[in-house]
Amino acid sequence: MTDASESAAPPPPVPPPAVAATTPATGANAPVLARGHLHPAILLLRLLDALREAVFPVVAGLVLQIWWLVGFGVVAFVLRLGYVIARYLTLEYMLTSDELRVREGLLERQERRIPLDRIQDLGFESSLLRRALGLTVVMVETASGRGVEARLDALSRADADHLREVLLAARAKKPAPAAPDADATAPAPPPLPEPEWLVHQSTGGELLMRGVTDLRLSAFALTGFAALQFADQIGFAAQLAGAAKSVRGWLGQFPPLTVALLLFGLLFLVMAFGVVTSTLGNLVTFHGFSLRLRGDVLQRRFGLLTTRQKTLPRERIQRVTIEQTWLRRLLGLCVLKADSAGGSRSDGQDTAGGWDVVVPLTRLPTGQHLLPALLPGIEHESFAWQRGSPRLILRTALQGVLLAAIAAPLLWLQADSPIAAAIALLLVPVWAVLGVLIYRNLGFAHGEHFLALQHGIIGRNRAFVPTAKVQAVVVRQGPIAQALGLADLTVYVAGGSPTRVPDLTLADARALAQAIAARAAVAAAAGW
Amino acid sequence: MTSSPPPQPPDRLERRVVAYWMIGDTLSVAVVAALAWFIGQPLLAKHWDAWSPAWELVLLGLCIGLAALALLAPPLAFARWRYGFLGDLLLMRYGILFVEERAVPVRRMQHVDLVRGPIERLFGLATLVVFTAGNEGSAFRVPGLSAARARELRDRIVEARGDGRI
Repeated sequence: MTDASESAAPPPPVPPPAVAATTPATGANAPVLARGHLHPAILLLRLLDALREAVFPVVAGLVLQIWWLVGFGVVAFVLRLGYVIARYLTLEYMLTSDELRVREGLLERQERRIPLDRIQDLGFESSLLRRALGLTVVMVETASGRGVEARLDALSRADADHLREVLLAARAKKPAPAAPDADATAPAPPPLPEPEWLVHQSTGGELLMRGVTDLRLSAFALTGFAALQFADQIGFAAQLAGAAKSVRGWLGQFPPLTVALLLFGLLFLVMAFGVVTSTLGNLVTFHGFSLRLRGDVLQRRFGLLTTRQKTLPRERIQRVTIEQTWLRRLLGLCVLKADSAGGSRSDGQDTAGGWDVVVPLTRLPTGQHLLPALLPGIEHESFAWQRGSPRLILRTALQGVLLAAIAAPLLWLQADSPIAAAIALLLVPVWAVLGVLIYRNLGFAHGEHFLALQHGIIGRNRAFVPTAKVQAVVVRQGPIAQALGLADLTVYVAGGSPTRVPDLTLADARALAQAIAARAAVAAAAGW
Repeated sequence: MTSSPPPQPPDRLERRVVAYWMIGDTLSVAVVAALAWFIGQPLLAKHWDAWSPAWELVLLGLCIGLAALALLAPPLAFARWRYGFLGDLLLMRYGILFVEERAVPVRRMQHVDLVRGPIERLFGLATLVVFTAGNEGSAFRVPGLSAARARELRDRIVEARGDGRI
């Protein structure tokens, strides 16, 4: 008995009962749980997109009287529209109890089949325009490392919710695919809806602080520099120079103190502008952030203009990091992020749209208390923190010497003066100080089920990796490290960048690698 | 902690791989040297003011140095390469300048590939590529195995691994 719900039917309140399973359902005749097409409003959205892209060549062509440009714009528009219509007409998705199938394509039929137990994330995203039309984008992520495996561009909100409910229910029932004989005659009772726990709700104040402490001055300076370069390229520079000269003349009237004050005031304005924009940006992106737990699945909802909703099954979490930039560390605040299988984020990076953020900002003790909600079992873990080897300071100092040895003659050649070479020698103490800072912040601990790593120079990041998730362990030694008896330990998991514990003594690294690999093998054998 | 280093993985690569690597490296060095000498040098001589016969000697020295590396590195690399199974773990140890020791739990492996390039086939060699989940650094290679040994390893891994769940 198959149960197919069309996109027009209202979603049933309870997942449909499983087929009486004397034989396990195979792909061909697995019950269909949901089926549908894209929402027709996607055509309108794509039409607007195509128009927007066609406008520039057409208008430019008309203005500059370049007729082939106009023709090109029109042809591109028509082709784009045709493709969109073809895609809309042919795309169909179908959710069976085994897999999700997405079929599309006119000339080249493409069918994508994703087994349910490989689906590890279901994300919703709706921009302002989509919300006005009652649509949402559904993104299906697997652990294949390609990130979003399937993307349904526009489903009605009701369809999307229904799909998710059915998917979660089907996944929850997966562990018992061939129901025991007792259920052979009677349909399995529908599972009770799980209670939903609120793990964390971000307050406006927290989001405000996140924006305020989100100093991306480097990005701002880079954009300013890029703007100046661009101005230079389009010949603006001459006019700017003329203006600058007159400004300089005007400034020359004032005593140097006033000039200095003016410049500082300008710098302050620039920084304030940066702070204001980043605060607004953060408030808008993370508005109303809530983290909930239902069963073993975490759910995040956030966003003002573009609302986002992302599920994260806890068993897919590969690593959780508590990140503190230097400013946040000073204020005792932190951000929590989680890597799930298939992601490729590096420690310290931010993904666009904040997908990996689990808690946007909170006080450090609160963040630590939230860890058991993400990594169940970590509360029983006692971490004995160890430091790296102090020889790492020697290693960084040697690196500094090497750099200075290369830079000094180069600078001497360029600037033709020994003073420049002497400046290059400053690299050595700078690198040594860097080494000291790294050493002071470096720490690692490995408990029975989790590996913890702490590192940073002026900020601090703490990463927690379940040893059961470890895919491979590598002990690496560069030439300098070989000479000093140091080694790096890198732990690979199925998502996020590898976790690296730098500058351990070789014996420590080997022992740690053995212990972690052994535990990972045991966990794998136990079928975790 | 331990005063003696842990046991080395037992198995070594096939000796033939030294010749294979040497040939491959010499070919690449030859191509690079030819490019540098016949294209790079005239270009530099034309456009760079500071060019002088001394720099020519430097370039020549570089080319000779690279060729020497191509001949000297493979035997060293072969001496360092070790791999083997230790319980449920596949261990690998290799590298001259950058020494790496890798341990991959067999049951975590997603799938295993046997790769044989055309020249590898001439030498009767094969490379075993082991894939784990995750996208960065997720493929681990053991080169220079005899075809029979590679197949044996692959079968052993396929038998031992679980369902590859993450």
